[in-house]
Formats: sequence, C-alpha cells, structure tokens
Amino acid sequence: MTMDCKSVMEILGAWLDGEIGARESEAIRFHLESCASCRAAKLRLERVEESLSAAVKAQASDVSWPQFWSGVERRIREESERRERLWSWLRPGSYLRRLAWAVPLAVVCLLVILLAEQYFFRWRLGPNLSSVAAVESIDGHGFNLALFGEDETNTTLIWLFLDEEEDEPSAEVPVADTTF
Amino acid sequence: MSPLPKFRWRILLSSVFPLFLAAALGAAERAPQTVQLRIGTILASNESEDFDPKLSGMKNQLEVIKYSSYQLIKEESQKVAWRDRAVFEIPGGRSLLVVPQEYRNQRLALKVRLIEGEKPLLDTTVRLRNRGYFLLGGPAHEGGVLILSISASHRSPALPDPSPR
Repeated sequence: MTMDCKSVMEILGAWLDGEIGARESEAIRFHLESCASCRAAKLRLERVEESLSAAVKAQASDVSWPQFWSGVERRIREESERRERLWSWLRPGSYLRRLAWAVPLAVVCLLVILLAEQYFFRWRLGPNLSSVAAVESIDGHGFNLALFGEDETNTTLIWLFLDEEEDEPSAEVPVADTTF
Repeated sequence: MSPLPKFRWRILLSSVFPLFLAAALGAAERAPQTVQLRIGTILASNESEDFDPKLSGMKNQLEVIKYSSYQLIKEESQKVAWRDRAVFEIPGGRSLLVVPQEYRNQRLALKVRLIEGEKPLLDTTVRLRNRGYFLLGGPAHEGGVLILSISASHRSPALPDPSPR
C-alpha cells in the first residue's frame, strides 16, 4: 500500500494519536522515510502536542483534586436521591399516603375558593349581590315618596315629600305604632 | 396497626378539621352579636356652594340629589343587639328608629321609622350590605332639606366606611 503526501497529511494527526490501523500505519511510516516535507509536518504536529500537553499539566496542578472529586460525588449523590424521591412518589404503594394528604388538601382548596368568593368576589356574581341597598317595603303614611336606585354610583335614595302634604293636611293623623 | 387503617384515620381527621373550621366560620357569619348603626344628618341647600369635606366619600351619591351645598350637621352611632331598637334624634324635632332585623344572604335587614313628635312619617325595611348605607331625604330644615345617611355594620367595631362599595 502506497500513500501520497495529501493522503498522509489528512490522517497524520490521527496516526500520531494511535488511531490508525496497522496497514495504514505501515504505509505512513514508509512514506515519511522518503518524504522530507511530511516528516517536517509530523515534527510540527509532535511539538504542538507536546506544548498542549505541558499546558494542560500545568493547569491541572492548580486544581484541588480532593475538593473536585468530593463535588462530583456530592452531585452524583444528589441526583440519585432525587431519582429515589421521584420513584417513591410514582411507586404504586405510595398512592394511599398521597391520598391521605390529597383529601384534606382538596377540602382546604374548596374552602378557600368558597371563602374567597364570599368575601372578595361577591360583586362579580350579578345583580343579586349588588352594592345598592334593596328596599323591601316602604310606607309614607300618606306622604308622597320617591325611590331612587342607581348601580353606577351605588346609590339608594328614599325621598319623602313632606311639604306638599302639609299644604293639605289629612283629616286623620296617623299615630306611631308602638309595636315597631 | 396496618398502614391502611392508619391512612384512613389520617384522611378522616384531616378532613374533619377543616369542616369544623368552616362550620365555625359559617356560624360566626350567621350569628353576629351586635350591629353598629350610624346616622349622618346632612343639610342640603341651594344657599351656597359649600361641600363639607367630611362628605367627600359620598360625593357621587349626593350629586344625584342636585343641591349645591351639603353640610354634615350631625353624626351619631349606636351599637345595638339584633331586633333591639336604636333611637336617633334628628334636627327639627324628629326621630329615627332603627331595628336591625336579621343578617341573611350577606345582607343586613334594617327596619327604619322616621317620626315627627308622635306622627310617623315613613316606615321602610331596607336590606343593605355589611357597612353599606342608604339615603333618606326630604324633611325641611333651615332653608334646605335634611338627608339622612343610614349605615350598618355587624362585625367590625369600627364605624362603617361611608365610601361607596
């Protein structure tokens, strides 16, 4: 198997990393013996790799490895605990335990909704709960009356026209009902 | 005790507690002990353009009546038991009798009677929201007319807020 320069340059890096098969490696080696430019390229690549390796080693010497590994172990532990919790939640045997909390929770939610409706959202429920006062009964004892109600201003007004009645006093003056 | 009965008890107890709580709240809602009544007496006239700043919370309501001047000339509040009668003296020798009847459907029922001497002028029964109010106007007084603001509150010891709700 023979190789030209172009083919060798394409796989030279992989060859240096030991990722090339035996037959191709032999062909590369054979080509490098006879090609000065490819040998020079191989030399450059080897220097670059040496420089990188030295830099990585220098950086790694600054790392606190015990701390690093304890952090890794902690993250693994947390992840396994989280999975354990999730599994215990999904496990069929835990349905009853969840039901024990779900029922009172549903009752409390229902109460909260009802109370909220009762105390805070009454005004949304329509005319029956309007802010305007409702006059159930009214008796002017012979005097003229006007009744005014307006939702827009929440006004309920009862107006008693006493002056007109006084111009023509009734013959029979009503007396206060003591049963009031 | 096996887990199942234990959970059953837990469900039962924790469900019954909120129900008791709701029942207690409902009972408190249904049976307030006293009612705070407040009567504001307002003189409305066309003799000036003055508007009493103490009435600013009811300006929109009073503007319906179309007088130019409104002055709060008297304010009185009383706390009464349900179905007890509260008597308020109104300027001009009149009296206002108010009997809180009941609290139902989130409304207070008030029986109100306006009298002049011994003569009844008006009887009415009005249902209003807690801390709500209504206006009763018409009696003449010092060149204007009197407007009574009648409000009721059944829970808070504080005076009802006259601002519109």
